[in-house]
Amino acid sequence: MKYAFFPGCVLESAAKEDYLATVAVAKKLGIELEELDGWTCCGASHVQDIAPEITLATNARNIALAEEKGLNLLTVCNTCTLMLREAKNELDKNEKEKNEVNKKLAQIGKQYRGTTDITHFLWVLIRDYGLDKLKAKVVKPLTGLRVAEYYGCHILRPQTELGFEDYQMPTSLAELISAIGATPIDFSRKLDCCGFHAVYPAHDSVMQMTGSINKDAATEGADCVVTPCPLCQMQLDMFQKEAKEVVGGGKDMPILHMSQLVGLALGISPDEMGMPKRHLTDTAAVTKFVG
Amino acid sequence: MRQITYHIHRYQQGRAFVQTFKFDYEADRTILWGLQKIKDTQDPTLTFLAACRSAVCGACSVRVNGEAMLGCEAKIDELTERYGTDELTIAPIGNFRVIRDLVVDWEAKVDRLKLVAPWIFLKAEFNEGDKIVRQTPADFKKFVAGTECILCGCCASECNKLTARQDDFLEPYVFTKANRFVLDSRDDAPMAHIQPAFDNGLWKCVHCMNCISRCPKHLKPAVDISNLRKEATKAGLTNSKGVRHAVAFKDDLYKTGRLKEVSMSLKSDGVVDSAKQAFYALRLWKHSKINPFELVVPQKPVNGIDGVRRLMKAAEEVSK
Repeated sequence: MKYAFFPGCVLESAAKEDYLATVAVAKKLGIELEELDGWTCCGASHVQDIAPEITLATNARNIALAEEKGLNLLTVCNTCTLMLREAKNELDKNEKEKNEVNKKLAQIGKQYRGTTDITHFLWVLIRDYGLDKLKAKVVKPLTGLRVAEYYGCHILRPQTELGFEDYQMPTSLAELISAIGATPIDFSRKLDCCGFHAVYPAHDSVMQMTGSINKDAATEGADCVVTPCPLCQMQLDMFQKEAKEVVGGGKDMPILHMSQLVGLALGISPDEMGMPKRHLTDTAAVTKFVG
Repeated sequence: MRQITYHIHRYQQGRAFVQTFKFDYEADRTILWGLQKIKDTQDPTLTFLAACRSAVCGACSVRVNGEAMLGCEAKIDELTERYGTDELTIAPIGNFRVIRDLVVDWEAKVDRLKLVAPWIFLKAEFNEGDKIVRQTPADFKKFVAGTECILCGCCASECNKLTARQDDFLEPYVFTKANRFVLDSRDDAPMAHIQPAFDNGLWKCVHCMNCISRCPKHLKPAVDISNLRKEATKAGLTNSKGVRHAVAFKDDLYKTGRLKEVSMSLKSDGVVDSAKQAFYALRLWKHSKINPFELVVPQKPVNGIDGVRRLMKAAEEVSK
């Protein structure tokens, strides 16, 4: 089982712990990740607002890099997933657009063919690897750990671009959490937006959104929030203190990357996955479950 | 006999409550049919709106299990199968003031819609003189999808930005209406739509994509917002943190191929607001989330950056 790995920009910087955890989990499971040489930013749902042609062309190049290797492209970031899939869907359904982009790509010796699928690590664990196999690899079942499953928008919506599961009642993350022995709480805000992409222009609103998610996770009895998106993780963790002041309290809520939670159950040490060092909110309430 | 249960969120005379109704199942019926059945046979005070019953008037939008949809279009069979239960929760659409039961107040919303001048400022050549110009089919195609909006409010119902705060943002359908006229080659005053959109939160959309997911006409308000942002930026409306943020991403993409995260706050917030975050930045540094020394250390470009730059230039040339 081998994929072209597209880590995305934040895994090289503020969410480096997700990189560490993803690579460690993949290694444990025997999933081979070959990082694409020369991948570039997906546009992060921002560049297309001022230059959609650039987003389409550069993501066509990103996908072409994976096609050259004959591998499906694996991301761990929801927004990277959406941006790349949007580009792929556009190019695959619009022959004229594809030809135009390929004319530009030809100038740099690349070609978009449409032969590579864009997938997310969560989908790979469920659809390609399989939860039964994952369950068999668990050495430290997270029994008793109550987890607020938080999907993040861009792995669900728009459903026409993603379509892995029912966007209104997803179950993938809860199934994954159950498979490693923890308990998903059926989080009431599992479909909410953390606000990450508008944290600069709509700061007040975003703090309200972030704070509400963390506060309600605590109210509903979660020990932690887990998300398959590093951007959501950053938002809920890094802005937790400020957001808490906006919504009026709530206990500290550890925010974990999905890769970290799986890693803990596979026996990977918290330290190896940047815990607690790289978290602003202490993760002791989670790591105590693995001793 | 199979029974369908509606838990209806009601609001009458200042009192909000949930009332449960049951009725006999019938195949191939809609959510609206169920509401009418309850009104006709159980409670004539149940209040909701409906007119065309053909998904074109937009009056009967309601929230079923938290998701906005047209009552006349939503099938009971499909929803009970999807949710695995014969019990459904029906509520008024979100982010609107409720007048009574499932009826919401559109008056204030129409005032907000008027802000973007959702009408055409017709160019003279299209309605004056001996030789009236006709719009080309290609130009017609550019905006026609936007005319499908039926003002049902579904896109606004679960808009996360509106739920957080409404006074600095507009409903997604307002942006769709504005963009429809901006894209219309007959319109002579694009800034009459773009400027008020920019002034009323154009860059505050949080990209939650609920507007696209909910639209019963398969429109894409978030994409309309994106196009308006592009047009606003082209027109020189750049004094916004959102614009600076997007430009920072594009510049980083050109320079190295990847985001330089450590400088993002400085570029997006500006020096003053960024300085206010100094203590926060120290916390991030303490946890290795950022490294301020990277501000002065040049980031290594990705392999193939020359090609990326050529590609970006070629793409940008086409857009001009």
